[in-house]
Amino acid sequence: MASTVIGAGIIIEGEVSADEDIVVQGVIRGKLDAKEGVTVEAGAVVEADISGGPLTVAGSVTGNITSTDRVELQAGARVVGNVKATRITIADGAQFKGNVDMDV
Amino acid sequence: MALLTVIGRGVRVRGRVTGEADLTIEGHVEGEVAITGTVTVDGDGIVGANINGRVVVVRGAVKGDLVATDAIRLEEGARVVGSIRAPRIAIAKGALVRGHVQTGTHPHAQSSTSSASRSKAQPARAAAPQVAPPPRAVAAPVAVKRPAPPVMASRTIPAPPPHAVKIAPKGPPPPTVPALKKGAKGALKKKAT
Repeated sequence: MASTVIGAGIIIEGEVSADEDIVVQGVIRGKLDAKEGVTVEAGAVVEADISGGPLTVAGSVTGNITSTDRVELQAGARVVGNVKATRITIADGAQFKGNVDMDV
Repeated sequence: MALLTVIGRGVRVRGRVTGEADLTIEGHVEGEVAITGTVTVDGDGIVGANINGRVVVVRGAVKGDLVATDAIRLEEGARVVGSIRAPRIAIAKGALVRGHVQTGTHPHAQSSTSSASRSKAQPARAAAPQVAPPPRAVAAPVAVKRPAPPVMASRTIPAPPPHAVKIAPKGPPPPTVPALKKGAKGALKKKAT
């Protein structure tokens, strides 16, 4: 279990910066800066630009995503925004609208 | 995993944290916290925000007002600067508090987390009592005449008419007990016997 969990039922409006893994099950509006992994679980809503390490999305993200590692959009994910990452996977059943920018 | 939220050691939140769940803070939070469950500020947690919750448990540092609808527990290692208000408050040995402490059921505390307006109404209401000190400038001339606690002074301001204030500095106040003439005491004693 990651040490930081934004549980379901929690709403954060503002800026979140994390030096450790972070799991989002609730709502974040604003900005999410992480140095490590970010997991947006099913049912979570993130209306924020996300930057961080490996990123896994199963919930809803509205905002631009920047990752120094891989981005994984799982089935059921809904992402509106641009994605910039070194690696990216989009699972069958994930909804995605935006540009993809991969360092080549 | 149900309604468990942890803001870990390496995490900093700047803004508003609201919701219906329990919250444990081990990192930094600046802004405002309004939760309908239990808020725990852990030993390493640092909060620069007013905290509203049902139960608030503090082992870390908080700068801001604490309001709970059920209870507040300040455990060893807690450092709180701000007023705390709840029906039940426990302050353990080794906890530091600087601010106003109020226990008991309170109409404001009861309503603070029951409606959607809780987060907006709270800071202003909490700040209000601290902002109104007794008017000290007006109390100064009264203090020359008779030293009195500030609460009394502010109450007696309207009482003395303007001339009383002018006379006061000219001389010492009239003696309250009339001075007896020389030998009067002896005369009285003689009469009695």
